[in-house]
Amino acid sequence: MLLQAAKFVGAGLATIGLAGAGVGIGTVFGALVLGTSRNPNLKDELFRIAILGFALTEAIALFALLVAFLILFAL
Amino acid sequence: MYDKILTSPLDQFRILPIFQFNLGFLDLSFTNSALTLFLALGSFLSIAYLIIYPALYLTKADGIFLVPNNRWFLLIENLYLVITSLLFDNVGIKGEVYFPFLFVIFVFVLQSNLIGLIPYSFTATSHIIVTFSLSLIVFIGVNIVGINIHRIHFLNLFLPSGTALPLAFLLVPLEIVSFLSKPISLSVRLFANMMAGHTLLKVIAGFAWSMMKGGGLLFLAHILPLAVLFILVGLELGVAIIQAYVFTVLACIYLNDSINLH
Repeated sequence: MLLQAAKFVGAGLATIGLAGAGVGIGTVFGALVLGTSRNPNLKDELFRIAILGFALTEAIALFALLVAFLILFAL
Repeated sequence: MYDKILTSPLDQFRILPIFQFNLGFLDLSFTNSALTLFLALGSFLSIAYLIIYPALYLTKADGIFLVPNNRWFLLIENLYLVITSLLFDNVGIKGEVYFPFLFVIFVFVLQSNLIGLIPYSFTATSHIIVTFSLSLIVFIGVNIVGINIHRIHFLNLFLPSGTALPLAFLLVPLEIVSFLSKPISLSVRLFANMMAGHTLLKVIAGFAWSMMKGGGLLFLAHILPLAVLFILVGLELGVAIIQAYVFTVLACIYLNDSINLH
């Protein structure tokens, strides 16, 4: 019972990692907006790099999710 | 029966044998995972041969077969262009010989991601063993290429040129760790994206289903999670394509590291 409760608390705590990913994705797209507004000609190229950055940052968020799943189901 | 299907959002990842086959204590059954992998490998070839080949043949008679004459042709030419530009941007002319490898990697990951989006199908890339095998293939292959070109100088990979000696003691272990974590991060990224996305879809779908069963006002309100589900499927479609692209981009970057060192 106590172990079960601790698992849920732990899984909930693991999602705190999402804060960092939120900041990261915000930074990526904020930088994209700034870059595009300074030089609209580069829009396509910047967008491609931004999508890559977005995917890399999102993956970090998913590591937190993975930890939550591990705590819930694998331990 | 429908209740049973929706009991757990993680049920969709279960590997079930289609044909049982045991060799001693080895379980060599043909599973739904293997079926999806074969479909992913075969679907692109099928498109290429069944649709483009006849099209080529027909237009050749008219003498203008260099112009893409249908949309499938255009799709495949665009895929070629995307991967070619990726390779030339990241690796340069030396990477040209590795184009077929990267093209197959991209198409394979893309197709298995997209096949997974069909309801009641199976996502092969949502299992870490599949993605880890893929990334290990990339990792080992890239290292063989690097060692073949640079021999002993391949060790330069662990020490950026022009580093001061005291700094080397700090940098070399760091570079080794980042080198060894390449295949792990490459595989976990794809696997976690696919698994998280599909679990999310199933959770929202189960939510809508239990609201629907509630009856009355709840039945009317279940439109809301269904609308969210509709949008999320669109997002997942994007993620499936982007992750295949990212996988290929990172394979290109690793290839560049070992061909051109740094």
